[in-house]
Amino acid sequence: MIARNRVRVSGVPDGRPMVFAHGFGCDQEMWRLVVPAFETDHRVVLFDYVGSGRSDLSAYDPVRYGSLEGYAADVVEICRELDLDDVVLVGHSVSAMIGVLAAARAPELFGALVMVGPSPRYVDNGDYVGGFSREDIAALLESLDSNHLGWSAAMAPVIMGNPDRPELTAELTNSFCRTDPDIARQFARVTFLSDNRADLPGVRVPTLVLQCTADAIAPEAVGRYVHEHVPGSVYTLLSATGHCPHLSAPAETTAAIRAFLG
Amino acid sequence: MDAPRRPDPREGPAGLRRLLEDDPADLYENAPCGYFSALPDGQVVKANRTFCEWTGRPVGELIGLRFQEMLSVGGRVFYETHLAPLLRMQGMVREVALDVVRADGSLLPCLLNAVEVRDDRGAPLLVRATVFEATSRRRYERALLAAQRAAAESERRARTLQQVVSEVSAAASARDVAEVIVRRSREAVGASGAALWLTVERRASTRHEPSVPPLELVAADAIPADLLEAMESAALGGAELVRDGGVHMVPLGAGLRAVWPGLAAAMADAGQEALVVVPVDADSRHLGALVLLLGVTGDSGLIDLAAPGDRGTLAQADADLLATVGRQAGQALERVRLYEETARAAERSAFLLDAARLMASAGDVVETAERLAELAVPRLADLCVIDLTTERGLTRPAARHGDPARRELVTELEQQHLPHRGAPHPSVRAMELGRTVWIHEVTDRWLAEVTADPRHLEIARELELVNMVCVPLVAAGRTLGVVTLCSDRRRGPFSPADVEVAEQLALQVSQVVDKAQRLELETRTSHTLQGNLLPPAPPPVPGLAAAVRYLPASRGADVGGDFYDVVPLPSGQVALAVGDVVGHDITAAAVMGQLRSVYRALLSDRPPPSAVIDKLQAGWSLLGLQRMATALFAVLDPATGRLRIASAGHLPPVLVAGGRAQLLDVRPSRMLGAPPAPGPAEEWAGVLAPGATLLLYTDGLVESRDADIDRGLAALLEAAERAGTSDPDELCDRLLAELASGVRADDVALLAITRCARH
Repeated sequence: MIARNRVRVSGVPDGRPMVFAHGFGCDQEMWRLVVPAFETDHRVVLFDYVGSGRSDLSAYDPVRYGSLEGYAADVVEICRELDLDDVVLVGHSVSAMIGVLAAARAPELFGALVMVGPSPRYVDNGDYVGGFSREDIAALLESLDSNHLGWSAAMAPVIMGNPDRPELTAELTNSFCRTDPDIARQFARVTFLSDNRADLPGVRVPTLVLQCTADAIAPEAVGRYVHEHVPGSVYTLLSATGHCPHLSAPAETTAAIRAFLG
Repeated sequence: MDAPRRPDPREGPAGLRRLLEDDPADLYENAPCGYFSALPDGQVVKANRTFCEWTGRPVGELIGLRFQEMLSVGGRVFYETHLAPLLRMQGMVREVALDVVRADGSLLPCLLNAVEVRDDRGAPLLVRATVFEATSRRRYERALLAAQRAAAESERRARTLQQVVSEVSAAASARDVAEVIVRRSREAVGASGAALWLTVERRASTRHEPSVPPLELVAADAIPADLLEAMESAALGGAELVRDGGVHMVPLGAGLRAVWPGLAAAMADAGQEALVVVPVDADSRHLGALVLLLGVTGDSGLIDLAAPGDRGTLAQADADLLATVGRQAGQALERVRLYEETARAAERSAFLLDAARLMASAGDVVETAERLAELAVPRLADLCVIDLTTERGLTRPAARHGDPARRELVTELEQQHLPHRGAPHPSVRAMELGRTVWIHEVTDRWLAEVTADPRHLEIARELELVNMVCVPLVAAGRTLGVVTLCSDRRRGPFSPADVEVAEQLALQVSQVVDKAQRLELETRTSHTLQGNLLPPAPPPVPGLAAAVRYLPASRGADVGGDFYDVVPLPSGQVALAVGDVVGHDITAAAVMGQLRSVYRALLSDRPPPSAVIDKLQAGWSLLGLQRMATALFAVLDPATGRLRIASAGHLPPVLVAGGRAQLLDVRPSRMLGAPPAPGPAEEWAGVLAPGATLLLYTDGLVESRDADIDRGLAALLEAAERAGTSDPDELCDRLLAELASGVRADDVALLAITRCARH
């Protein structure tokens, strides 16, 4: 399973464990700019979801990963395998909800949740504003297909031919943000078609909701919704824009998490 | 060798060099690709004219706009989840396919290359991007993708078919086949639910029976109970849909609402938009139908994006696939049915063989019925009830259920609910009609009609019967009874072959029951006859106390010709007789009766005992008696105790006096009916003292299979002495208790007579 999810552990062995879970898109490399700030006093665990990054693609089971529960089960397995407790689970995007499900599955493992750009449901529904209409999501899933056609064919040579960053070239040769198109499509379906609103009130651990400004994927209204429905959660609005503050504003992101963890 | 120098192309046409030395700004603005620069957060800060023209947006409008805001929804998500992170992490992206939304809302398919410009510390400053129009390329890609998808779909269908074929070939029952078909076909076309109905074979049925249901639900997958129920009730009429063999789409519309309003309502409630009806055929015979539901699926727990009204469609290729799956199902079902038939035939043969063995060893009628019922459940049926005709009406010697939990109900049935003549109950009808009555469909209404009372109905309901077969037991034109076999919901209906087995079984039972009933009747008749031929109790005679006993043999079929007689004569004397006609049947009993009558007739002449023997021997051939007999005749004078005895081959009498018992030495002449001895019969003469008892008996009292007669006689004397009584009744009882209490192979007649002590 350590190999299945390409689990990597760093930092202080007896520090409080922090598990960073990447969202839909790339892989654990997404955390590269914030991880160093926590490695000094935490035990840092990084991993790739099955089907992402350099995970074991052969372990992909469309039934198990046909819902977020399968991914949550993986997170729990990783924590158990590493014998972690009082885990701070930092989940980006869809991983915020995977974290909610994981904490419900194994409450004894988790001590805090940090949600970066969370959304319990992307599709608008009645009074609920998720930010996307049904048609939007249908178009998104459709575009994923067409993108991958060019994407998967074009990316590998591009990455390999990156002359000014040789250290990246070696690392990224065949994995960076590349996924099997079918698995990416499935993951996108599960990500954008899940509805975890009902799970939010069940969260029993201290939770930080990190909301970006002008996030096209998880608008502010959605972040506030999460904050209002997770009992006792802390809401922090970052000045960072976009959906990946850990890449675009690592210092601000790190500071917010540190402030929350105390 | 030097290569020839290539001429500098710039030295060509006049003015070319001037063009090439043109302003780089013009080159930027009018390049054949779009250029723009944006801040790290995507805000456009610079764009060339080409990009402005392609997007239909003046540069003033573009500046300050975030690039991602110019993208389609998919592109925007892609930008946030892939493009922006990649730029940040690797500083560049190339050939990313995106759709830029033009000012007029139309899409510009393009490929984007971008680099991130960073400061000395690696912090992002600017993103520079080039955009190439890729309309043709995108069209080509889409065509390629469509072809790829079509190929994948075609492969998926082929795989489905392959799976169906391999899975049904491993299926051992119709239910297994149906489950595979239902599951695989549902998955193959993304249906929300599926169910398979099979036609129930039409069978020869007698009049008045409830109608046969033509369809039976065999397997269902992912259909809510109430919807399935609505489909069930519509299935009957739906059978018409499979007649022409094609796959039918039935959308939830006015047509469906008009014909099956209940089904339409249930579909609407469950978010279903169409039914697909697929015939299940084998060699152009209609075996049933596969029905799929198109609509909201409850499978993944994910949000269903399809807009209402869009779900009830099926691609032609999927319809073709379903048609093929239907044919595969038909063939597999035929194969399985054949296999099941063969297996069941073997099982039936084994069952009938067991039944034949059982019948051969069975005892009386009740035992036969019980053992048969035990054999029939659960191998042939869930419930087996046997009713037999007797002179007291119908009796129910056996009712058995295969399920221990239901035995109590059946016991109640056994005790309380005997059918009676003229009742609508099928058991009664089968007997009246003299042929098998098969109830193919046990409905509640029908149960209410045929049951005798509310409790009977209650029990019948609890048994959950689905089929009932009543086979009359008939032998030589006589109706002996009826065997009723029932199957419940779990077993399902009987097959014609099951009924055939039931009929064969009934035939076997009829013969055994007939034989047993005849035997029992004969036995009973013999005993009745014998009982009637014997005087019930000796008449009172002054000065004497007498007791008589007659015990038939234990084994029902054996009847004896034993007799005794006590006749007061006008002279005041008493004539005594005990005899035993050879044989154990009704003839023996008849001969005994005749012999007694003749003996009584002879008594009018007051012959001495030896003369009785002589006269009987002399007239034996005239009497026409077919059996020989032993007998002992005596005449006793109660006043004096004078006693004369003569024996025709009979066992010696016992005299019990003063606590001692002894055999009287009466010398026997030949048996009655044997060629007579040359001289007259000898006579024993003596006196029966007051208080003494004379004991006359037949060989049943002293003979047994495992001991010789001398030991029997010794035992009799010992028992008589041990009894220590001169009361004849008491003596008789003690002797019978001691000597004849176990299994008796023969009848026993016993006559004890005591001369009262005061005389």
